Amino acid sequence: MQIGCLVLRDFRNYQTLSYRPTGRLNVLTGRNAQGKTNLLEGLGVLLTGRSFRTSRLADLPSWGAEATMLGGDLIHTEGTRTVRRTIQRLEDGTWQSAGDLCPWARAIVFGWQDLAILNGPPAARRGFIDGFAARLFPGHLPALLRYRQILARRNRLLQAAGAEGRLAPWDEQLAATGMELIDRRRRAVAALSTELARVYPALAGERHKVAVAYRTSLGEATEPAALLAALERRRAEEARRRLTLVGPHRDDLAIELNGTDTRTFGSRGEQRLLALALRMAEVLPVTEAAGTAPVLLLDDALSELDSVVGGNVLREIHSAEQVFLTSPEPLAVNGAARWIVESGEVSAA
Amino acid sequence: MAFYPEPVARLIDAFQRLPGIGPKTAQRLTFFLLKRPAEEVRELSSALAAVKERIIYCTICFNVTDQDPCRICADPTRDAGVLCVVEEPNDLLAMERTGEFKGRYHVLLGALSPLDGIGPDDLKVRELLLRLEDGPAREVILATNPNVEGEATALYLAKLLRPLGVRVTRIARGLPVGGDLEYADQVTLTKALEGRREIG
Ligand SMILES: Nc1ncnc2c1ncn2[C@@H]1O[C@H](COP(=O)(O)OP(=O)(O)OP(=O)(O)O)[C@@H](O)[C@H]1O
Ligand SMILES: [Mg+2]
Ligand SMILES: [Zn+2]
Repeated sequence: MQIGCLVLRDFRNYQTLSYRPTGRLNVLTGRNAQGKTNLLEGLGVLLTGRSFRTSRLADLPSWGAEATMLGGDLIHTEGTRTVRRTIQRLEDGTWQSAGDLCPWARAIVFGWQDLAILNGPPAARRGFIDGFAARLFPGHLPALLRYRQILARRNRLLQAAGAEGRLAPWDEQLAATGMELIDRRRRAVAALSTELARVYPALAGERHKVAVAYRTSLGEATEPAALLAALERRRAEEARRRLTLVGPHRDDLAIELNGTDTRTFGSRGEQRLLALALRMAEVLPVTEAAGTAPVLLLDDALSELDSVVGGNVLREIHSAEQVFLTSPEPLAVNGAARWIVESGEVSAA
Repeated sequence: MAFYPEPVARLIDAFQRLPGIGPKTAQRLTFFLLKRPAEEVRELSSALAAVKERIIYCTICFNVTDQDPCRICADPTRDAGVLCVVEEPNDLLAMERTGEFKGRYHVLLGALSPLDGIGPDDLKVRELLLRLEDGPAREVILATNPNVEGEATALYLAKLLRPLGVRVTRIARGLPVGGDLEYADQVTLTKALEGRREIG
C-alpha cells in the first residue's frame, strides 16, 4: 500500500500541509527541529490512528490549538480510500480521537528510541514484540488491553487486606488472556527470527548469527492451566509483595548476536544496525498478514552507520514499497524523491 | 458562575453532577428550561421526584418496578425454570427488547469490581442463592457484560452455582468487546443468547 497524499491542519509544528509523496522512496532532509519526525508521526497517525511517540493525544495538536485534523488517500491495489481523523478537546477537558481506520493499513516505524529494544529494560522488548504481533494479528491489541485491565484489578485485590479469597475469577481470566498473548508473541518471534537471519547479514554485509527467543517463566507450556498453576505456586510470595509475579507482563526477549546477549555487547553502530534490522525483519511477515506491503517510516535510520553499511541499508530499503527516510544531512540517493523540511513546510528539493 | 442568580447556579450545579454532562451542557440545559412554559418544567420536576418516591426494587429479582413483585416475576406465563442473571435493570430491558427470552431474571445491581471495592457481598448474590434454594431452576444464564468485571462476575457465579446441580451457561462473546449489554443491538443480543454455552 501507499500514501497518496497527506493533509495536516494544526498538527505539531504544521499549521497547514498538503503533501504528495511518491509511492517509492522519499528522502526528507532538513535541519534539526524543522518537523521531520513530526511529519513521520503524522503519516503514522493517518495510517494507524495512533502516534508512535506519545500516548497523550494532547501532545499532537499545535500548541494552543483545540483540535487537529489529518486526512489523506491510502492507495491499495483494490482501490483508493480517503481517510480522515480529528483529534479534539472535549467540553470536560479530555481529548478525543475519531476517524477512519483501514483494516489493511500498516506502518513500520524506526526511530532512535528503538535502541531501547537492545539495551533498555524488558518492557521495551515486550513493547516491541507486542507492536509487531498487533500488526500481524488484529486480535492482539484488544487482548493486550484486556490483559492490562485484568492485571490492574488483580493487583488491586492483592493490595487489599483479606481479599485473597476473591482472586479466583481474576486468576482464571489472567491465565486465559495471558496465554493468548504468549501464544501470539511466540508466533511473532518465530516469524521475526526467520527474517532477521536474512536481513541482518544483508545489512551488515557479513555473515552473522542472530537469534531471537521468547523468554517466559512458563517454559514451553501452551495451556492456561500452566499459568494458573504458576500463580498457585507463587501465591505466598505474591501476597507478600502484593503484585502479580507471573504472566506475559514479566516475560522478555533474548536477542543474541553471534552468541552474545545484545544487552552486554558494545558498538553503538552495531546496536543501531540490529535495531533497524529488527524493524526491517517485520516487513515480510506484516506484508503477508495484511495482504499488502506496509509503509516504512524510518527516522534518521542512517546515522551512526558507516558508508558501506549505509549503502546496504539503502539497497534493502529500495526493495520495500513506500518508504519515508529522514536525515538531518543531505543524502544522495539514486532514484529517490527528495524533499526539504523547513519550519513546518515540505518542498521538493 | 459567580454572577448567576442562586437558583440558576444551583440547577447548573445539579445538572453537572449527571454522567456525561459538562459545564457548558449544564448551562445550556438550564437556560433552555428557563425559556420553557412553567407547566412543562413542573412536569419534569414531578417526574424527577416520582422516580425516587414510587420506584422500588422487586424483592424477588431486584429489577426496578412500581409494584412488588414486578410484572415479570408476577407473570405466570414466564418460565421460572430459566433464570437470566444481569448486572443492571438496563441490561434486563435490553434483553426484553429482543423478545426472545421467556424465562425470568435476577438483577445483581452491579458487578465484581476491585477498582471500586465492590465484592460479592455488595451484589445480590446471596439473594440469588436463596432464590435457587426455594425454587430450583433448570438453567441459569449468566448475561453479565462482556468486559473484565462482567466476566469475573460470571466466572465467580459459575463456581458458586455448580454445586447446586443447575445447568449454568454464559452468553456468547459476539458482543462488542468491552461494550455493555444495554448498547448491543437486538440481533447481536439474540445471537449472544442463542450461542450461550455451558461454563465452569
Ligand atoms: N504540539 C506542538 N505544537 C507546535 N510545535 C511542536 C509541537 N510538538 C513539537 N513541536 C516542535 O516541532 C519542532 C519540530 O520537531 P521535530 O521533532 O519534527 O524535528 P526534527 O525535524 O525531526 O528534528 P531533529 O533533526 O532534531 O530530529 C520542534 O521545534 C518542536 O519543539
Ligand atoms: Mg527528528
Ligand atoms: Zn421481579
